[in-house]
Amino acid sequence: MIPTHWFLILSAILFTIGVCGVLTRKNGITIFMCIELMVNAVNLTFVAYARQFHQLHGLIFVFFVMAIAAAEAAVGLAIFISLFHHRHTIDVDEANLMRW
Amino acid sequence: MITFAVFFFFAAIAVIFAATVVLHRNPVVGALSLVASFFALAVMYVLLEAPFLAALQVIVYAGAIMVLFLFVIMLLNLQHQEEPRTRPVQQFLGYTSSAAFGLALIYYLAKFGVTQLPDGPFVSDARTVGIRMFEAYIFPFEMVSILLLAAIVGALLLSARTGATGVAPLSAGTTTENLAAPHDAAPRIEVAP
Repeated sequence: MIPTHWFLILSAILFTIGVCGVLTRKNGITIFMCIELMVNAVNLTFVAYARQFHQLHGLIFVFFVMAIAAAEAAVGLAIFISLFHHRHTIDVDEANLMRW
Repeated sequence: MITFAVFFFFAAIAVIFAATVVLHRNPVVGALSLVASFFALAVMYVLLEAPFLAALQVIVYAGAIMVLFLFVIMLLNLQHQEEPRTRPVQQFLGYTSSAAFGLALIYYLAKFGVTQLPDGPFVSDARTVGIRMFEAYIFPFEMVSILLLAAIVGALLLSARTGATGVAPLSAGTTTENLAAPHDAAPRIEVAP
């Protein structure tokens, strides 16, 4: 049986890669995919601790996180389609109307 | 011992394809790499004795959500669009700060994380998860269904094209125009011949 902290370290690595992508990329859809990566890293942590402590709450929370990630992806991609129709780009630096 | 080999193989696959998502310039390659990374994470769920969640991961994430991403990328023709380079200072700051964050995370996980193995097998098939969800978590479940409905309506409204070139938006004005149209059109047909 594989120890729990190995899964946690893998989850930390994946979360860090996602943070790195959000900080350095400019393509809006790539930033969205990096957010999905971070969500999945957190899901892995939930499942690892659920097995460690023999609790089903972690698994059910992962189910809810998946549903909310689906809703977030649908609304976010619709926002990017709308942005593309107005600006003809999805570069997030171009969408600076609400910047200070 | 074979489980350790499987773990390291698929952990390497997950990390390599996740890095490809961040480093590759083409968003189509990024989306397909993310699908591969999600499949490797489904294998991790199987190793964690949660086969139901592994199936959900493949169906919902790798199947539905990533198809939505690929669909939008193809719809907007983004694979030919050149992404501007990030400025070097910002790129350096992003890489170093995220590396520091990740190293701190791994350090504290290794220092304070649980190290003893869990005792005994963990039953988490669809039956036990479903019974727990529909007994204790029925109210959040209904809330999530309402949230998904709101997301559908929001996505439809946001992606409906407005303006001169597109389809008419969902507004109150369209019904009165449709009602007025036959009265305007009828005299024109009589006048035309």
